Amino acid sequence: MRALAIAQRELSSMFASATGWLVLTGFLAVAGLFWSLSLAAYVDYSQQAMVTPYLASQLDMTEHLISQYFGSIGILFVFICPALSMRLFAPEVANRTLELLLTSPVSTADIVLGKFLGALGFTATMLFATAPFPLMLWQWGNPDLGAFVTGYLGTLLLAGALLSMGMLASAFTRSQIVAFMLAIAGALILWVLQAMGTDSWQAELAVVPHAQDMWRGIVRLSDLTYFAAFIGFFLFATHQRVEAHRWS
Amino acid sequence: MIEVANLTKRYGATLAVEDLSFSVERGEIVGFLGANGAGKSTTMRILCGALGATSGTAKVDGIDVMEDPKAAKSRIGYLPEAPPLYLEMTVRQYLRFCARIKGTANPSEAADKAIGRVGLASVAHRIIGNLSKGYRQRVGIAQALVHEPQLLVLDEPNSGLDPKQRAEIRELIEELAAGETTVLLSTHVLPEIEALCDRVIIIDHGRIVAQDAVEALGGGMGVIKLVVAAPSAELAAKLEALDGVNAVKAKGDGVYLVETQRDLRAEVARTAVDAGLLELSSQRQLEDVFLRLTGGAA
Repeated sequence: MRALAIAQRELSSMFASATGWLVLTGFLAVAGLFWSLSLAAYVDYSQQAMVTPYLASQLDMTEHLISQYFGSIGILFVFICPALSMRLFAPEVANRTLELLLTSPVSTADIVLGKFLGALGFTATMLFATAPFPLMLWQWGNPDLGAFVTGYLGTLLLAGALLSMGMLASAFTRSQIVAFMLAIAGALILWVLQAMGTDSWQAELAVVPHAQDMWRGIVRLSDLTYFAAFIGFFLFATHQRVEAHRWS
Repeated sequence: MIEVANLTKRYGATLAVEDLSFSVERGEIVGFLGANGAGKSTTMRILCGALGATSGTAKVDGIDVMEDPKAAKSRIGYLPEAPPLYLEMTVRQYLRFCARIKGTANPSEAADKAIGRVGLASVAHRIIGNLSKGYRQRVGIAQALVHEPQLLVLDEPNSGLDPKQRAEIRELIEELAAGETTVLLSTHVLPEIEALCDRVIIIDHGRIVAQDAVEALGGGMGVIKLVVAAPSAELAAKLEALDGVNAVKAKGDGVYLVETQRDLRAEVARTAVDAGLLELSSQRQLEDVFLRLTGGAA
């Protein structure tokens, strides 16, 4: 319950800051641009498909539009999540407000979980604010509802992974800029790893590919396990780091 | 209410607190006195669970702070040296949040009550970042007492306040202590301690050098400043001969400083009256004790 109080405060402080609204507005603008581009490409493709029977057999709204939609948001999250997670611990240490949390009757697990959920709540708000884009598909077509459900799940898991990693970075420094740089370096490395070839273990570590199947409507146990292990590891590491504040 | 036993805190090679033991009874107001860096804040932070001790134990209401931190912390209200404020929140939002994480049954009610007690009603809707230092300090105190703890630990509650605000905070602390609340406060403003505290604990370099009732510590030890119209070596000799006088220093222009072991104002006045006594004043006694014990005496 007390973790929820911390999550709520975190969420409302994002909305109380100019940064929060700036990130939200910028995200919606760019996501809207991506959406109209992929919609235009899909319209082009389907017009060609009318005269080319082979293309028509390949035309798939889930494959060519819905997964594009989630893919573009996922890429934006690689850059946005570090900007959100940098605020989680660094300013609390710099302004000495962490002292309030550490001396209140809440456990360190409550603090870490609350902050994580607050940041995840903000990304969920951003994500669902884009819902009107795909909703317009029902006006003209019959998109696969399941792909949307798994797509949103995959995107949230991706955001959770990026945020948990950024939260650890934020717990290591009192500077938000340093926290941001560390988090974005981590996010970019985990993104670029997918270029290491499809069968290598390095590519298995890459974070975005584990969300990709969910964007196409496929949920694999291995992907869910990956995200659970990833987020669990970074939440635990952050817990240990915050606990170490008592000993420094 | 507080039992601290053999508490030691080491930062690397530096010993911040060394083998500290003391206890505080329920309802007492105890002052923690010491120079900057003497270990006051470190001890308070350990007591409130912000810091782990290298060895030793700290108990609040019989509960070990390390063993059952949640139960211990719910009994403590703590004001750190720098009030831990979220500057982007309003006073009321902030206190509601504090009341929630401290586990009060009705956070809104608790916040409003704290606002009333500390006199924040006129700024309750304002953003903390826009408040003056005095108000911020009060928000910090409101935060410490929002869950009506049995023990208040206040680290320099008066720092940066003007005399009027100090008097208000002092009244508030007295009012709290008149109830059941136990108060441990640190300061290096000596008159505060004399005005407020039942007992003083003086620490220096991480060790307790004295702890006693304020009167007992002050206990007549002190310096009497004397101004006479006709200074003479004879007067100095007479003063020095009084029972209980340690030393007499002539400062010129008829000014003498008489170091005494107990309250000798009457005797000193009687002796000096023939030399044309113009002025007699007794300097802060606690200050003297403090300087003597912490090795800061001239």
